[in-house]
Amino acid sequence: MAMVDVRNVTKVYRKDAEELVVLNGLSLQVNEGDYAALMGPSGSGKSTLLNLIAGIDKPTSGDVVVAGTNVAQLGETQLAAFRSHNVGFIFQFYNLIPVLSATENVELPLLLTHLSKAQRRERALTALKVVGLADRASHYPRQLSGGQEQRVAIARAIVTDPKVLVADEPTGDLDAKSATEILDLLGTLNQDFKKTIVMVTHDPRAAERAKTQHHLEKGVLKD
Amino acid sequence: MKYLPYLLKHLRRNWFRTTLTVLAMAMCIFLFCTLQSVLAQINALLDSTSAKRLVVRNSVSIVFDVPLAYGARIQSVPGVERVAISNWFGGSLPAKKEGKSDPGSESSTTDWSNFFNNLAVEMEPFLAMYPEYQVPPDQYRALMADQRGCVIGRKLANKFGWKIGDTFFLESFIPVHRKADGPFEFVVRAIFDVDPVKYSATDQNMMLFHQKYLYEATGRTLQAGTYYVEIKNPDQAGQVSAAIDKLFENSDAQTRTETEKAFAAGFIAMAGNLALLLNGIGVAVAFTILLVVANTMSIAVRERRKEIGVLKTLGFTSGQVMGLVVAESLLIGLIGGALGIAGSRTIMFLLTHAPGLKDMLAGIGLSELPLRPMVAAIGFGVAIVLGFAAGFVPALSAYRARITDMLRTV
Repeated sequence: MAMVDVRNVTKVYRKDAEELVVLNGLSLQVNEGDYAALMGPSGSGKSTLLNLIAGIDKPTSGDVVVAGTNVAQLGETQLAAFRSHNVGFIFQFYNLIPVLSATENVELPLLLTHLSKAQRRERALTALKVVGLADRASHYPRQLSGGQEQRVAIARAIVTDPKVLVADEPTGDLDAKSATEILDLLGTLNQDFKKTIVMVTHDPRAAERAKTQHHLEKGVLKD
Repeated sequence: MKYLPYLLKHLRRNWFRTTLTVLAMAMCIFLFCTLQSVLAQINALLDSTSAKRLVVRNSVSIVFDVPLAYGARIQSVPGVERVAISNWFGGSLPAKKEGKSDPGSESSTTDWSNFFNNLAVEMEPFLAMYPEYQVPPDQYRALMADQRGCVIGRKLANKFGWKIGDTFFLESFIPVHRKADGPFEFVVRAIFDVDPVKYSATDQNMMLFHQKYLYEATGRTLQAGTYYVEIKNPDQAGQVSAAIDKLFENSDAQTRTETEKAFAAGFIAMAGNLALLLNGIGVAVAFTILLVVANTMSIAVRERRKEIGVLKTLGFTSGQVMGLVVAESLLIGLIGGALGIAGSRTIMFLLTHAPGLKDMLAGIGLSELPLRPMVAAIGFGVAIVLGFAAGFVPALSAYRARITDMLRTV
């Protein structure tokens, strides 16, 4: 069963009279429990495709069905609800809130739920435990290394138990050792926690960890 | 409430900027509350005047006298109940307080820090037309029997610790109110009280003494400063005023008759249109602070574009993000408003209790400057409105911004 089903999607950016076609009739399926890597040169449309899957952008035409919901047909508020329930987003540059501690950063998506403060705190600590950072719970982003920050970002992405994890070059800003740790963690989330993962990467070693690899070029899937 | 810690952490992010913004807001509300309290107190003073009382003065200026012969003629005007001469004495305590020891030696130096309002009046008709002043009958009799006797307000008595029978000296800065042998000696013969509910704004920091004492001690040449006139029917104030002024329209000293309230308002208006001035300052300051806070919030939102993008990615709706930005601005308004109100209350307390200043204020009837609950409530409301207005535009830009644009921000 396809967890992500992208059907004949086109994405066109318009600036004044100029049109830039980023995705051109692209179709892609990622099955439940899959770990897919999207690769391709800069400007090939990888991140745009990832944004569409994550529901933070909408296609110009075509359908993007994620976890049974056609993202292309949702309004702004419905999209927000969709993201909070179904998608965990991992950024290249972590994007943690600097004034919040690791626990508070992880707790952030849970503010949208009806959980009590204690329940939110418990779940955030559990997520931090999963990524191996329980001992850094009270640390602030500036007190963490890049690898640790990315692990906190992953904990934030999984704390709501989403069906799909999307990662935009999660190791792009890390040294080799930290990158390996992050890839190991993503592998664990896929293997042990059965998370469907779609990852954009330039790094062939990262792509090798994925179960399937897809190559984009000029907005079209090559294989 | 669950977002409150998040908001507070953001406010602490750049604590210096937040502190300055909160202080700017506090200053705005402080000025608003203080100026409005002064205005409210002045209005209360004006409202404490009676519609049954008229004041007759020289039409040229309050500084010119009115002939003593006018009294009987004013009394003859239909509709007039009673008439009382009044001279604003302008007396101050000699530098050596109370001057009991040697009235002559220190007479040239006055103690302005302890100034209070003092009037030489025709006691019997004057007190009769002022039911506000409650004087016990025995004290009233003693007052009427002693030419040097005076009646003082309860607050003035408490302030100087004066009791019935105490004496003190006053010397006027007005040359025609001075006598060659030194300051005037007064004996406290009566202390008046005021119904705190019915006449809450009536000045109790004042003193009245016999006009005859002043008249005789200054060589029997003194004229009347003003005439206080009680009329039978307040609805006829206009006609009676016109009739009095008509009596003297062909004389050397033409008169101007007006209600006590108009007279008091005119006295205050000598400082200009106070209400317009104070309200103008308040509006200008509020508008400036609106710009300051709006600018701060705009900078804060611009600095956090990426974070706003992250929040939206995590599932926060545009409305929620907008709400967080507005709430942050509101929080600045609330804290600033609370500080401003507290500051206003403190400064007004200090002003009315600081040596020197308190007496100056008491001299113009502002012996008390309370922060009225309504003024505080409006001040707090202004802070909330300013906070909301300042945060709205930046919040709207956060609302409208696309996630992908926000996340691309470097």
